Amino acid sequence: MEDLVCPLAVLPTAGGDGEGGGSGCECVSMAALDLRADLDSLLLQLLGDLEELEGKRAVLNARVEEGWLSLAKARYAMGTKSVGPLQYASHMEPQVCLQASEAQEGLQKFKVVRSGVHAPEEVGPREAALRRRKGPTKTPEPQSSEAPRDPLNWFGILVPHSLRQAQASFRDGLQLAADIASLQNRIDWGRSQLRGLQEKLKQLEPGTA
Amino acid sequence: MAGRGKLITVMGDEDTVTRFLLGGIGELNKNSHPNFQVMEKDTTIHEIEDTFWQFLNQDDIGIILINQYTAEMVRQALDAHQHSIPTVLETPSKEHPYDATKDSILRRARGMFTAEDLH
Repeated sequence: MEDLVCPLAVLPTAGGDGEGGGSGCECVSMAALDLRADLDSLLLQLLGDLEELEGKRAVLNARVEEGWLSLAKARYAMGTKSVGPLQYASHMEPQVCLQASEAQEGLQKFKVVRSGVHAPEEVGPREAALRRRKGPTKTPEPQSSEAPRDPLNWFGILVPHSLRQAQASFRDGLQLAADIASLQNRIDWGRSQLRGLQEKLKQLEPGTA
Repeated sequence: MAGRGKLITVMGDEDTVTRFLLGGIGELNKNSHPNFQVMEKDTTIHEIEDTFWQFLNQDDIGIILINQYTAEMVRQALDAHQHSIPTVLETPSKEHPYDATKDSILRRARGMFTAEDLH
């Protein structure tokens, strides 16, 4: 009598089996059970990530709309053509960069960092000795600041408050964008993991549809 | 520039690019190409595709922000992009609100759940 395949239950055959096929069947069933448990938890995590992504998307869209409104108010105050590509600087340095880290193999996570943070400039005599009035002395000029220029300055020195509000909205939007990008990566990664597990399960249980 | 991190690029209409540049992501100097592209009325699909591929192949870019309306023009290239870096993020524009059914990532995620896979 041929051994029957137990799809799910791990039941020892009565009286034992002279051949090793029964224990092989149990191992396969155990492995399939483990895989199914992994699949379930991965699927739940994916659904959670999708829900989180939807929430963050809604917040990002709201921030963007706030920013548009503020930008429109700024244009109303300064003139339609006063806030646009004509005012872009000819030289730009990014104030905001991304720090990419690999949480697991193939899974990238992003974090927004602000560049151009400098220690306060030291003002005052560098030497402890008294200065003598012997005429102008050559003092080392402080190094020119390498901090990137604030993009608000492209549009004038005294910009309306609405333009500052627009900038604040878009800065928040950038952090959200980094979070959404990390979530998208996690979803893609989870998707590929899910496919891998499903393939393994199909190999273990070729009979199941 | 060691330790600088990756850049965020933006492709879209004038308002979209201006708003993200206000946020401080812009880079423009004589040694490198700008990390943004403003879509004018006369910008061709070929130019958009060229810029998109250029951004995809740059090592120093982490995220590409692109109007969903512009993304529709390069949807094939977008769908073919499978790497985690740079990540492409579709954003709404003033005239075209965000539509989740068109987003590449969400379309792929929807494709995960078929009748066979759920058995």
